[in-house]
Amino acid sequence: MTKHRTLVATLALLGMATLPLIVPAGAEQFSERAKRVGSQVNCMCGSCNMTAAGCSHPGGEFSGPCPAAKAMLQEIDQRGDKGETDEQIIQAFVKQFGSTVYAEPPKSGFSLVAWVMPTGYLVLGTLLVILVISRWLKKNASEVPASSGAAAKVISPELLERARKLAEQETKE
Amino acid sequence: MDVFGSFALLLAFVCAVFAFGGGIAAILTRHPLLIKSARQAGMATCGLIFLATFSLEYLFFTDNFSVAYVVSHSNRDLSALYKITALWSGMEGSLLFWSFLLAIYVLSVLITYRNKNGELMPYVGVVMAGVQLFFLMLNNFVESPFKVLASSGADGVMSFVSRADGNGLNALLQYPEMAIHPPNLYSGYTGFTIPFAFALGALLARYPGEKWIHLTRKWTMIAWMFQSCGILLGAHWAYAVLGWGGYWGWDPVENASLLPWLTGTAFLHSVMMQEKRGMMKVWNVWLVFTTFLLCIMGTFLTRSGVVQSVHAFAQSNIGSWFVAFMGITLAVCFVAYVKNSDYLKTENHLDSMISRESSFLFNNLLFLWACISVLSGTLFPVFSEWFTGNRISVGAPYFNRVNIPVGLLILFLTGVGPLLAWRKTSTESLKKNFGWPLLVGVVAGATTFALGFRDFFSVTCWTLCAFVAATILLEFYRGAKVIRSRSGASYPACAVDLTMRNTRRYGGYIIHMGMVFVFIGLAGAAFNRDVQKSMRAGDTMQIGPYTLLLQGGDTNAEHNYTAQRMNVEVLRANKPMMMLFPEKRRFAGNNQENGTMVAIYSTWKEDLYVVFAGTDPETREPVIHAFLNPLVKWIWFGGVVVVFGTILALLPNRRSVLVLAPSQQPVAGQPLPHAVTTQVALREGHD
Repeated sequence: MTKHRTLVATLALLGMATLPLIVPAGAEQFSERAKRVGSQVNCMCGSCNMTAAGCSHPGGEFSGPCPAAKAMLQEIDQRGDKGETDEQIIQAFVKQFGSTVYAEPPKSGFSLVAWVMPTGYLVLGTLLVILVISRWLKKNASEVPASSGAAAKVISPELLERARKLAEQETKE
Repeated sequence: MDVFGSFALLLAFVCAVFAFGGGIAAILTRHPLLIKSARQAGMATCGLIFLATFSLEYLFFTDNFSVAYVVSHSNRDLSALYKITALWSGMEGSLLFWSFLLAIYVLSVLITYRNKNGELMPYVGVVMAGVQLFFLMLNNFVESPFKVLASSGADGVMSFVSRADGNGLNALLQYPEMAIHPPNLYSGYTGFTIPFAFALGALLARYPGEKWIHLTRKWTMIAWMFQSCGILLGAHWAYAVLGWGGYWGWDPVENASLLPWLTGTAFLHSVMMQEKRGMMKVWNVWLVFTTFLLCIMGTFLTRSGVVQSVHAFAQSNIGSWFVAFMGITLAVCFVAYVKNSDYLKTENHLDSMISRESSFLFNNLLFLWACISVLSGTLFPVFSEWFTGNRISVGAPYFNRVNIPVGLLILFLTGVGPLLAWRKTSTESLKKNFGWPLLVGVVAGATTFALGFRDFFSVTCWTLCAFVAATILLEFYRGAKVIRSRSGASYPACAVDLTMRNTRRYGGYIIHMGMVFVFIGLAGAAFNRDVQKSMRAGDTMQIGPYTLLLQGGDTNAEHNYTAQRMNVEVLRANKPMMMLFPEKRRFAGNNQENGTMVAIYSTWKEDLYVVFAGTDPETREPVIHAFLNPLVKWIWFGGVVVVFGTILALLPNRRSVLVLAPSQQPVAGQPLPHAVTTQVALREGHD
């Protein structure tokens, strides 16, 4: 029995551990840089609402990178070959097309708000949850009589009644 | 028939007014006849909406091109299936479809509880009638689907006209999944009206206890299941039809469907705190309110033109109606809450930081965080335009960056939550429950790293997937072991028995397992790759281990479209494997739109996804775009598992979950006998 259990556990372990083995590694046609930078700028054809690297035209005559996206990807490669950094290439596009070229808001000016908001929510939310938990814990501690150390583990009649009702409800459904 | 449909809609509006107004009067007077007549008016409203909807379908099937909506969304060659789906392909029809689905829910509720919960149901009826009233107002006076074509003659007199044929249905919608994706999504949106009506009704009626939670649980789960199905079917449709190689683009309309799903999921978890411990009552009520409001907001975003989206309907001034409705609803909810907040007083407090309760709090925090982040990202272009005059776009890279860590944290809690006990978890219990799953996770992570995978989020995701899967399997194993020790049956049989004894808990675990599969698939996206090439017959292209040989192409005239098809042979290690036939379709009708039929060879390891992108404008040669997308099949499989788990969780338990001694009344401060404490101590898992 123990052997059987160990075997099952080992197989399950190996199964999960080797799952990612089946994932291949990558290679492509446009350069890596073109794809990387191209995914940070929008295709400026004005009709697809997609990034330059991911441009396709659903419902259009041609479903793939349009001439505008292709030109942008080529420009990325050309500028990259000249030694420009990713950021310099993006800034060149911003000069050319304005801030609408950004696929994600830049981390400066008003756009910074877009980045601060999620972090702010998280910090506020976490603080709120911690506050609620600590208040509940304090309240609970003040309600439990000091003499009964094991009182917290005891089920109150209300809780028992709740559980009973729940059980009745669930068996009725 | 257009007059009949219009009249049915108008009558439905009148009945809804009576159901709403009469319902309020019934609540105030407590007059039984008034209560009954308001309920019957609610039923009549539903019946009349059904009639109006069937009338519109009749107009499609009879090619009545004197009706503007039929002209815009159908043509004579359109197949029967798409004549049905044309109903929701435009603004007016989709709003009628909203009313139709809502009517199904409302009628089901009114019939199910016609002789039950007499104190609560009039309030619920009024809320449901209020929502119906809003949509019927739109159907009748703002976006009527029964408008007829007319033109003015030389003498200035208007006369009805009829067109010989219609413009046809949008090419992107002529795909079998479009027959089921919107109905699922809309069933989710409309379905959340029911828990909303019960929550608001219970609050207004100060309905005692958690009964409204019990009453709405199955409705919430049904709505949630449809919403999940709708989202996944939409993703699959985008994957198989749009031809861009992906399934989720963080488009505003996609985001709009995700928002109520996130809060709905949070509600399905936190509601357990209220059921088990009488906690988080305020939170739950507001989660239901928020979920409903987000459903309305989703409908508003799709139709108002506030955000740019490939999915959006034509722009119209309908947005102000939605804003007004959301404002009124929010005000009603707020007043109801302020007036009755004492009714929502919590009954218990937290015993320990390390407990199931606190894990639910963090779970809710994360779902809400994801929801607010997606919402603010979706609306940020609008805000930026208001404040700066420049529309700053927020695309997929932003949403991925913000939401991937949240998703991973939620995945982590999916594993941790069920291992924690209600009230308090001891250190011994932590060690016992976390040992194996942690080991499995660490080994999985180390293995993926050793194999050369360096994408941080993907490796973390697979590590967590292994951890969560191990916790779920361990729960099944432990439960099955107890049953096996008594029955001697096999482990699988015991696991089935276990599941059927407590469908809610183990159905929940199966849903979690489905989500693990979805996450496994999502993590594969980091390794997607693609190649695009202009090809002549006989040319080959290489992608991963596959060689694609273009053998040629042909053109076939079908009933409603002309298909240009490429014949692509797939070889692996120079051995022929199969043929793939990606297509480009040109549809009939005045719109003359193009559609793509992607050819996909799908395995558990990867999808070979081949698109005939069209003809190169310069060389006039066909362009083949091939993608190799790892693990995508896991996402669809995970979706099926989620639906299966939800259906299972909706089934009643086969046997009693808790064995309680009916006469046993505990004395405060004295521990209960072991047999009772172990069963009732609320250690019971995910229910």
